[in-house]
Amino acid sequence: MEDHAIVRLEDASKYYRQGQMEVHAVDGLSFDIHKGDFTALCGPSGSGKTTVLNLIGGLDVPTSGKVFLEGRDIGLLSRSKISAIRRDRIGFVFQAYNLIPVMTAYENAAFVLSLQGVSDRECRDRVTAILKEVGLEGLENRRPDEMSGGQQQRVAIARAIVTRPAIVLADEPTANVDSANADSLLGLMERLNRESGVTFLFSTHDQRVMDRARRIIRLHDGRIESDEVFN
Amino acid sequence: MRTLKIASRNVFRNWHRTLVTTAAMGFAGFIMILFASLMEGLLQGSERNAVSMDLGDIQIHAPDYREDPDLYKVISDPDRILADLKKAGFHAAKRLYGFGLAASGATSAGVQLRGIDLSNESDVTQINRHVLKGKWLEESDPSGVVIGRKLARTLGVDIGDELIFVGQATDGSMANDIYTVKGILKSVGEEVDRAGLYMQDSAFRELMVLPEGAHEIAVMRPDRSTDLIAATSKVADIAPGCETLNWRELMPVIARILDLADSQMIIMVIITYTAVAMLVLNAMLMTVFERIRELGIMKAVGVKPWQIMMLVYAETFMQVLAASIIAGVSGIALSRYFEHNGIDLSSLAEGASFGGVAVDPIWRAHLTAESVAVPIVFLFIIAFLSVLYPAIKAAVIQPVRAIHHR
Repeated sequence: MEDHAIVRLEDASKYYRQGQMEVHAVDGLSFDIHKGDFTALCGPSGSGKTTVLNLIGGLDVPTSGKVFLEGRDIGLLSRSKISAIRRDRIGFVFQAYNLIPVMTAYENAAFVLSLQGVSDRECRDRVTAILKEVGLEGLENRRPDEMSGGQQQRVAIARAIVTRPAIVLADEPTANVDSANADSLLGLMERLNRESGVTFLFSTHDQRVMDRARRIIRLHDGRIESDEVFN
Repeated sequence: MRTLKIASRNVFRNWHRTLVTTAAMGFAGFIMILFASLMEGLLQGSERNAVSMDLGDIQIHAPDYREDPDLYKVISDPDRILADLKKAGFHAAKRLYGFGLAASGATSAGVQLRGIDLSNESDVTQINRHVLKGKWLEESDPSGVVIGRKLARTLGVDIGDELIFVGQATDGSMANDIYTVKGILKSVGEEVDRAGLYMQDSAFRELMVLPEGAHEIAVMRPDRSTDLIAATSKVADIAPGCETLNWRELMPVIARILDLADSQMIIMVIITYTAVAMLVLNAMLMTVFERIRELGIMKAVGVKPWQIMMLVYAETFMQVLAASIIAGVSGIALSRYFEHNGIDLSSLAEGASFGGVAVDPIWRAHLTAESVAVPIVFLFIIAFLSVLYPAIKAAVIQPVRAIHHR
């Protein structure tokens, strides 16, 4: 395994039983994600995009094959270790924002840092800087229900990157926001990737995401249809 | 700290449900504190009536006297025993017992004559302060007697009325004399109420021709919190050759009832709290199901299962704490009220007794640390047990499913 591959899938498959049928959500996938990548997993609904993100994020385990994160085979790790990896090395951005409703923007962004045991002072400095970076300065004390969809997704991005993860897994991050907000969010993530070197892996069927991605892996029925790199 | 902060906000998230759950727990706790203090009052009252009105802590008798209360079976050296008991720090009083017939007008009734050592009896029991009508015996009036309330009713006598006692003296002669009723006792117990006739020991000795000895020495510990068994053993050493028994041995039924009171209390608490447990279980299950997605997100970003359990428990803890404060404040306040004012049961329970001991017609609560602590501690235990299932349910949520839960 090459050292600079953050994520590597080796013949990874995920099958589900649905009644009498076996569904091949992911079927023998192999690919690498490297540091600084800005990659989009594309494909129609049911093509296995979200399942791939779940496997990489340790939210699900492959039926067969292997998934490596920073050289560690996730399938061999205990639940507790996977939980710690999710906390320390992976940032999640979900389609439906998925912020904790009783927490303010600041607290949501600081939540994972506090789980890591980062000191209050460092936490404050990092969260304040990140919220400023994602354009939420002045909205720190607002709760999710007091913010627009775009603002909530910015908080989710702040929460994902504030821990300086190895990779940010973004599942349809623009699906629930309007065009203007989608462009703005993509611009933000592109800038974070370019300027701070944050690695992003998207699952999407949004053309705007695909237009900005530097690599597009197209999936169909759980298999790679094409894998294109753009410069 | 973070867990408590999130928990406190979650508690207020659905404040209607929190209010109902907390109020129900608080009400149950309040009822149990009140019940516990009323039960404590009833039991203490019974113990007081048994011990402080009649038995004393420990009694000394001549061997076999209790099986066959013969006028001739006396403790031969009561004054020496009394002196030694006092030297050892005990309060003690001699008593004399005889049996006969009391008559007033055309009515008569069997009575138990009680010769009382006036100078010492008030150190042992509070019978002198338990007079319903009239007054207690006085040294200056040897022909004055005090009788049980049911005996007074049977004989149809009141304060100032005369009654005649007829019995057999120790010398075989007929013991008879006329006495004036100076006082009628409040309810003490079935035996005293129906047949008790108290007179001074000097009058008893003269009537029954019994110059020496005593049938009973009643003993009271100076500090009732000291060990009863050890005290009994100490008293027995002072009166060798006599039968020495403590009140628990003399009234085993009452002692057993008092012993079982704690168990009864715990059974009542469990029955009452079972309903509360269902409510808490339901409320917390709803809370978990409503927040499946949110809990899934928390797990996805690295919160561990035990931390999720801690969160559910912290939310429960806050509600139980609030309920305990409600229960404690209201329970203590009402128990204090009933401690001072009591519940008047005279129309329902006048003269009632259990185990041969009178029940006070005014039922007073007695608030103790235990009567507050037991219901509250059990409230926490039951709530924590009932929330175990929702907490585990929350902890084992699969984030991948929870995130996509609709």
